Amino acid sequence: MLEQMTMEQTILDAAREVFETMIFMDIEPAGSEPQDTSSEGAALMGSITFRGGLEGCLTICLSEACARSIAANMLGMDSGDQLSLSEVGDAVGEVANMTMGSIKHRIQNTYSDLQVSIPTVVSGRQLFPMPGEDFTRGQVCTTLDEIFPVTFSMYYKQSQS
Amino acid sequence: MSKSLMIVDDSATMRKIIMKTVRMSGLEFDRTEEAGNGAEALEKLKTSAVDIVLCDINMPEMNGVEFVKQARQMDCSKNTKIIMVSTESGQDLIDNLMSSGANGYITKPFTPERFQEKLTPFMN
Repeated sequence: MLEQMTMEQTILDAAREVFETMIFMDIEPAGSEPQDTSSEGAALMGSITFRGGLEGCLTICLSEACARSIAANMLGMDSGDQLSLSEVGDAVGEVANMTMGSIKHRIQNTYSDLQVSIPTVVSGRQLFPMPGEDFTRGQVCTTLDEIFPVTFSMYYKQSQS
Repeated sequence: MSKSLMIVDDSATMRKIIMKTVRMSGLEFDRTEEAGNGAEALEKLKTSAVDIVLCDINMPEMNGVEFVKQARQMDCSKNTKIIMVSTESGQDLIDNLMSSGANGYITKPFTPERFQEKLTPFMN
């Protein structure tokens, strides 16, 4: 199975590709632990599951303000303030979808049969994923445009079948 | 020459992003349509055929693979150019789509240049 460090670098490379190509925001690593964003109000978590030779899920956690900024950039708008929460959530789901797609492409020599779900997005406060105990976690903490903390987490394990 | 375009994706936001990127590519369409899945796209094509369809693969109700197969069975869309737009990048899947009747493939994340490259051959 892919080493945790390798997976974390793969996640970061995939996230960079997505943010540089379609969102036009700088994304940089920011330590090993997620920043506490609970004081920033509502948060969103986009997640997408996968199965095949490897199974698990990828999540992206960020503040609503960050999500609005991402959605605005993706849509070519000056500000995301006018967007509905549904539109903002849609954008976060697409970020999760595209990041997972890029990860899948990068590991396809090892895992060529991964099937990916449709992304889901939830909003709330202090959101974090809770997979089963036997999953390995690859976690990448980043900042967008040196302002917004964004955490990518990938929980994965070798499939039994 | 006037051209029409349909964007098929279950994400309304992604449909807007694709439309924005198509505009940025410099390509112009007289008429644009949208659909949220393959089944909705087929229904729209029956009443209003288009020249080019940009279609996602992973969608609820009817995915892009099934859409291509069914669109190729219908008189109204047998000549429509169908370009898949997806995060899926497995060669087996792409080969399967092309043999089912898709005319091209664009991987997400994408750029305006990529749309220009893939759509320009079908604009004349």
